[in-house]
Amino acid sequence: MARDLDIVSRRGRLTRGALSVWALLIYVFLFAPIVLLVVFSFNANRYGTFPITGWTTKWYGQVFHDYQIRDALTTTIRIALEVTLVSTVVGTAAAFPLVRSRLRFRSGIRIALVLPIMIPGLLIGVSLLVLFTNVFHQELSPTTAVIGQSVYTTPFVLLLVAARLQGFDASLERAASDLGANTFKRLRYVVLPLLAPAILAGALFAFTLSLDEFIITLFLIGSHNTLPIYIYTQVKFGITPEVNALAALLLAASLCLMALAFVLPGIVRRALRLVPRRAG
Amino acid sequence: MPLSSPGVQATQSADTALPLGRPGRRSWTSRLGEYAGFGPALVLFGLFFLVPLGLIVCYSFWQTVDYNVVHDWTFDNYRYFFSVPTYVRTLWATVWVSVAATALTLVLAFPFAYWLARYVPKRYQKVLLILVILPFWTSYLLRVYSWLTILGPQGAMNRFLQWTGATSKPVSFFLYDRPAVILVLVYLYFPFGALTLYASLERFDWNQFRAAMDLGATPRTAMWRILLPQMKPGITTAVIFVFIPILGEYLTPQLVGGARGVMIGNLIVNFFQGAQYTRGAAAALLIAALIVVLLAVFRRSLEVEDPYGT
Repeated sequence: MARDLDIVSRRGRLTRGALSVWALLIYVFLFAPIVLLVVFSFNANRYGTFPITGWTTKWYGQVFHDYQIRDALTTTIRIALEVTLVSTVVGTAAAFPLVRSRLRFRSGIRIALVLPIMIPGLLIGVSLLVLFTNVFHQELSPTTAVIGQSVYTTPFVLLLVAARLQGFDASLERAASDLGANTFKRLRYVVLPLLAPAILAGALFAFTLSLDEFIITLFLIGSHNTLPIYIYTQVKFGITPEVNALAALLLAASLCLMALAFVLPGIVRRALRLVPRRAG
Repeated sequence: MPLSSPGVQATQSADTALPLGRPGRRSWTSRLGEYAGFGPALVLFGLFFLVPLGLIVCYSFWQTVDYNVVHDWTFDNYRYFFSVPTYVRTLWATVWVSVAATALTLVLAFPFAYWLARYVPKRYQKVLLILVILPFWTSYLLRVYSWLTILGPQGAMNRFLQWTGATSKPVSFFLYDRPAVILVLVYLYFPFGALTLYASLERFDWNQFRAAMDLGATPRTAMWRILLPQMKPGITTAVIFVFIPILGEYLTPQLVGGARGVMIGNLIVNFFQGAQYTRGAAAALLIAALIVVLLAVFRRSLEVEDPYGT
């Protein structure tokens, strides 16, 4: 083992110690701004930063009573639900031919399909803006934002479902086929239940990404507001404790959803395993 | 991945094809069914991703006359862009900032990834890795905003300095210039760099490292001659995945960069908000062209299996 070697030498131990300190500093660097943001959201002073003059939850109260925020929240959730629906269906459907058919340029197609993630959102935003306003002569609305966000979120679902499909035991499907199941029944009773965890994780990813999406939405939302757009317009005038509180809430929401996306698939898998046992 | 080896791929597709009947006998309907799943994706990515991008290409060669787009093919938009010194300077500054931020991200991420892959017991590695990616899964806007509460004129830094008596007035030294932009960009893209580098370090066989040292190599030689050459695809991927999004950054320079931290993304947004669509398209295409060139050059060494560690 390489590890033994390092313990033997003094120099190795030193390196290890130095690197551990480095890693600790990295974690501080990554979390300090977020933690400070949350701390400031409970701070009584009205500048939204230091000094801490006392603890309060009054900013949260203001967030909940602000009708602009409530409007933005409704729009955000509506858009997120629609984006989730579109990207889950489109992404799952595309995962099948991507993994299973004998495509010639499979890796090329794979790159093309993940391109919307790699390319700056700005380009997606402005190009769709031109398409909607100058070609389709369409008024900008939450619907155009849904389309724009779906272009960006669908590849995530696709990658997740494709990864699960890759490790799928094809003999299960063949067995179902031998037992007389047609394509629809194979899909309904064999394939989809086995893919369910990945599809669910993909849906949660899409929802969270949509909730937080900023740049594409900025171009396509028109006169409406989503929460990130609302925060952006507020931030331009300076930091306020209400925005800190709203930001902390949004952070907590995305973290919870992401945790769900990681944990839920395992739970679903276990639950699905229990079902046939009970039935049999 | 099995994708790269033809033998595995053949058996795999034969396997999956079996439930649908033997390959030779398959009708055109079942063949069509095989590709039907691409249908919705084709509409979404075709109509709403490729067509708009193509449109931007066209627009960059068309003209705006009295707020109307005229379909006359011309290089005027590009000529205009390069005739304004501020724009050219912004373009170079964008490239410069992106290179600096990418380099800094990787230099910070490498020791971290090395520590994680080599010194941390396997069972803790995953948790520690998720901790690094965690901020990445929160709102991008809020991560930029959180720095504003630290660096801003009323931010934590200034408050702290005033409290200690170092300054009497808030200084905007921390904010509204390129260093602040680079700092925040490094913060934003660090998880990317760390994840990619870790993925490539994790696969490394440390016995090779030991073998090199048994044969008399110093740790430094072993690192440069054995480890880094094998990490090349991972490093390339990290560079690409950090550099490309930074090229198109808008929010970070907008919020923490101020007038002196402007990047090309801000120019593009200004053009489009001023209804100068054709000029904006030309500026956007300059970024797109840079990205395409990068991807074409590094195509072979890219690993795009799961860039987001999902």
